[in-house]
Amino acid sequence: MANTDLYEYPPELREEFEATEAIQFRDGSSATAADVWHFMTEIAPKRYPFAYTQKKYAGVRLSRDIHLPSAIKNHYLLLTMNDRITKSRENGAPVIFVQGGQSVDPYYAAGGIALRPASVGLWARGRHEGLGLNEEVVRQHKQKEKAYHAISFEACQTAGYENIQEGGLPIDMVAPFTCLRCSDISYGVEAHRHGPNKAVKLMNIDYPMRHQADKKWAVEYFAQNLRRLTNEIGKLAGRDVTDDDLSKEIRLHNEGRRLAIETAELWWSADLPPTNGVDRRSLYQMGGMEVHGDPSASLTVLRESHAYIKERVKKGIKAEGVVDKPIRLFVCGSCVFPNDFRIEEAGAIIVGQDNHWSDISTLVEEDGDPYQNLAHAILSYPYEQSVELRAAWTIEQLKKSRADGVLFLYQWGCNTQSAIARMLCDTIKRDTGIPTMIIEQHEGGSEQSEQLLNRVNAFIEML
Amino acid sequence: MSLKRNFFAGVDVGSLAAKAVILEDGKVFATGLVPSGFDSVESGLNALNLALETAGLKKEDLTYIVGTGYGRVSAPYANKAVTEITCHAKGANFLHPTVRTIIDMGGQDCKAIRIDEDGAVVDFAMNDKCAAGTGRFLEVMAGVFKVKLEDLGALSLSATELVPMSSTCTVFAESETISLVARGEKPANILNGIHHAIANRISGLFARVGITSDVFFSGGVAKNNGMKTAIEEALKVTIVKPEIDPQLIGALGAAVLARNFSKKEGLWS
Amino acid sequence: MPIKTLEVIRKRLEDRPAELNKLRENGQKVVGWTGYNVPEEIIHALGFIPIRIAIGGDDRLVEVGGRYASSKNCVFIREIVGAFSENEDPYIQQTDILAFDATCLQNFRAAEVIEYYFKKDVIVLGVPRNFYWEEGKEYFGKEADEFTRLLEERAGVSLDLTKLGESVALYNDIRKTLKSIYSFQAAKDNVISWVEVFDLIQAGDLLDKKEYLALLHQTLAELQALQHNPVIEVDGNDARIFISGSLIPRGDRKLINIITSVGGRIVGDDIWTGILPHLDLDIKEISPAGVALAYLNRTPHAALPYLDLESDRRLKKLHELLAEFKAQGVIYHTLRYCDPFTFKAKETKDVLAKSAIPVLEIHTEYAGSDYEALRTRLEAFVEMIKIKAESAAEVTV
Ligand code: SF4
Ligand code: SF4
Repeated sequence: MANTDLYEYPPELREEFEATEAIQFRDGSSATAADVWHFMTEIAPKRYPFAYTQKKYAGVRLSRDIHLPSAIKNHYLLLTMNDRITKSRENGAPVIFVQGGQSVDPYYAAGGIALRPASVGLWARGRHEGLGLNEEVVRQHKQKEKAYHAISFEACQTAGYENIQEGGLPIDMVAPFTCLRCSDISYGVEAHRHGPNKAVKLMNIDYPMRHQADKKWAVEYFAQNLRRLTNEIGKLAGRDVTDDDLSKEIRLHNEGRRLAIETAELWWSADLPPTNGVDRRSLYQMGGMEVHGDPSASLTVLRESHAYIKERVKKGIKAEGVVDKPIRLFVCGSCVFPNDFRIEEAGAIIVGQDNHWSDISTLVEEDGDPYQNLAHAILSYPYEQSVELRAAWTIEQLKKSRADGVLFLYQWGCNTQSAIARMLCDTIKRDTGIPTMIIEQHEGGSEQSEQLLNRVNAFIEML
Repeated sequence: MSLKRNFFAGVDVGSLAAKAVILEDGKVFATGLVPSGFDSVESGLNALNLALETAGLKKEDLTYIVGTGYGRVSAPYANKAVTEITCHAKGANFLHPTVRTIIDMGGQDCKAIRIDEDGAVVDFAMNDKCAAGTGRFLEVMAGVFKVKLEDLGALSLSATELVPMSSTCTVFAESETISLVARGEKPANILNGIHHAIANRISGLFARVGITSDVFFSGGVAKNNGMKTAIEEALKVTIVKPEIDPQLIGALGAAVLARNFSKKEGLWS
Repeated sequence: MPIKTLEVIRKRLEDRPAELNKLRENGQKVVGWTGYNVPEEIIHALGFIPIRIAIGGDDRLVEVGGRYASSKNCVFIREIVGAFSENEDPYIQQTDILAFDATCLQNFRAAEVIEYYFKKDVIVLGVPRNFYWEEGKEYFGKEADEFTRLLEERAGVSLDLTKLGESVALYNDIRKTLKSIYSFQAAKDNVISWVEVFDLIQAGDLLDKKEYLALLHQTLAELQALQHNPVIEVDGNDARIFISGSLIPRGDRKLINIITSVGGRIVGDDIWTGILPHLDLDIKEISPAGVALAYLNRTPHAALPYLDLESDRRLKKLHELLAEFKAQGVIYHTLRYCDPFTFKAKETKDVLAKSAIPVLEIHTEYAGSDYEALRTRLEAFVEMIKIKAESAAEVTV
């Protein structure tokens, strides 16, 4: 297909970019800024043309805030997912499918690589080269459809079935935290038992519910789950996992979480948005250290960006392309995210979200039994508490981020978030008066339906 | 000496059309097809009378009548009622003994039927919840593009690209299509996407039933070549060329059953 | 020959709401419970009147419930939420305390919604997904203790283990008697139908337990008088149907009615409102944890994921029951957005195909709009079974 309509990074940017820091990987290797530049301008446009689309409706466009090095480095890390994960796996690191909205410390502590559904999708995507946007979307749909056939058309979360069972993606283990956030995931995990790929190990890391963090036995049970988990991954990785391994990993991940919290607080404190929505979101997410399948890489990029954001906020620099006084939206709910580009065109910006932020902003106690500490922290995720508690935490984030409105989005077929949506929105309205809107997204795709965007736009206009 | 000639009829009253087939022993003797009205008894009789007229026969000449389709429940003219699923199986088997799967896409529903070498149903599945794969869905799409229903297939086959459709639900697909048109995508390419999305979605239905060649494609949508091609691609199968109007297959099966039942009941030997 | 006791039970059910009302005026409390692993004996032993909340079949309530929860929740849960909103159901009106469990997460969410919008006093029992792990069992035992503590708080008394023992004995007897009655419906020349037994099972969710047991004994005696030796075997004219999948609660008769109207004969089930929860419940220790664990050790509910297909007890039990009741085909019934069962439909079908048992999947909700389409499918399925049986008979002849 003709590639004339693909985006190109301005060549004059090269020198400035190449002066920025290298990305350090977990295995000790690194990629200099020059390596990144070369890949992003020479190689990736050929291998992954869809990512360079300029189509106005596509949500996968590259960030245009080119003076923010993390923007380019983040895309680099996403587009090299297949290369890197394939290599790490060949070097003996088992790859584990996990859930979104959970932390990944124990997986890495045991020598594995943890990928949430979206990241597994990215890895699978990286294995198909040369596709334009339409072709890539058609590929994804076809693949997903296979999972629906094997599981159910009402399935939303298929636990990577389409890639792992039908697509030959060499995932070693499917072991998400179950019950957290999503009701579909445990059935998705179970569905693998009738798939053709018998080599993949299955495990549910069972997240107890209802006042879970206050129940000693629930914390204990979850800690036991985590022990079993690290033990199983250790077996795959061929190593014994000590408490010390976990403690170390917790400290490392706490650093990411702290940095993300600081970055968020800086971002929220600024009068003018220091980045666009796409970059803001990826910066916050890097604190969870899952997004790139390499915690060290995420951490180096996040550290460097933190300094940039600080600078921009201090000098009152606004991100390119964002309007002066955008309407500030906060997004609640799982698995769907509005198209930032379109939101910004409409004069708004997304300032935060509850999903993922709930786990990233929960620090883990560093002294004492690491399994107990981790279990306690995880069972305390605000997103997973009763409606009143979740709402209280959300309201705190709304205040910090100075949000003007709340969008609650959930995916068609999602039983869990859809059931909470109204209660949460009613509580927020009751306690703050901030307007809320609930939207159901009907099936995925790179271009969000006009219907969804129209509703979001109407909401923005109302605000 | 002249043996008495035996005629058997099958009458299939569907949501869009009523069909009748008259069989004389081993071959189709006459057929009738009329649009369905509000009264299913009348529609069935109209189709039957049309077939009788073509055959030059009277109702009394028929040894046995089997009713099928939605109208089977109230078909006073029939000796027996049998579901269209069993009838489709018999009909397809009668015409093409090598057929093992029937894909039927009608006005209101769509079904997959797997049959054995005797034309007995082994498994089947039916979709009526979601409009994907039904005539209704394509009608809506024809409305969006302002083209005739029968021209949809050809238009889609002229596509140069495949525009991904994320939804096969009529309501959502309609609005998605409208926005794709507004974004300047070509109708043929969008339609190509729609046909493929439907084929993919309904192939799930068939996956559960287990698809075995040969395949017989019946129902009103079977006349849409774009759909036929998309299904062949999605399921990696070849669809047999029907020897009669594929819409008549249910009525034909009913006639075959009429012959079998009457024999069993000792009405002829 | 109608079974006279069934008529008595029908009458008793009519009077029950008023009777409950009286009992409550005299200070007794009704606990409305729902969830596959709620250990009902504990509720009973604490002096509460347990009533099971399982209603369905009313599309209007589903619509109402969807406004509080969402249209993506299973129809059963939506109906329950809708019923609390409308508060018209004579039994729901009588509930003082609610006890839900987290076997199915939709049930768990419903508890939250009902608590939030209708200000009900709700107790929730946590259920482990890793129910087959020792750690999972231990967690569940502790949850049962907590569940008991919360109930004790509301009862104002502590659980007396002697009373718990009595409740267990009573419930054990009920389960045993139900099982005996159940085999009569599947017999050749049966004197009681599956539908009648199904109603009988569900009557136990609402009636006083002691009285219920007496009525069951009476029913069994009547059956034994009519049929000394029930033999379960395939009869040429039947299409013996087994119902599996999502629950069919009180008020939801669509599927059952259609099956019988097209000439199918239901001979067994493994649904949550049928016989299954009453089977294989073996209480080894008289304590909250002991009772609860026995519940957890029964045939697991589909909402509890089990990761190895070969040793799956749910499928094993299904096979056993199919053989026991000589079923010729399975109707796998799933309610809209009931993921626990819907996600396993294809798998169940594939597994049963290996034993050459035909399966028809029926995915439905409480609206009547799909009545005709369901009828066509069910009728075709019955035709298919009969034709198969006939040709098998021809071959053997
Ligand atoms: S949208 Fe809901 S059901 Fe779907 S994956 Fe996300 S949390 Fe799970
Ligand atoms: S098992 Fe199915 S019907 Fe029952 S509560 Fe769960 S989703 Fe609803």
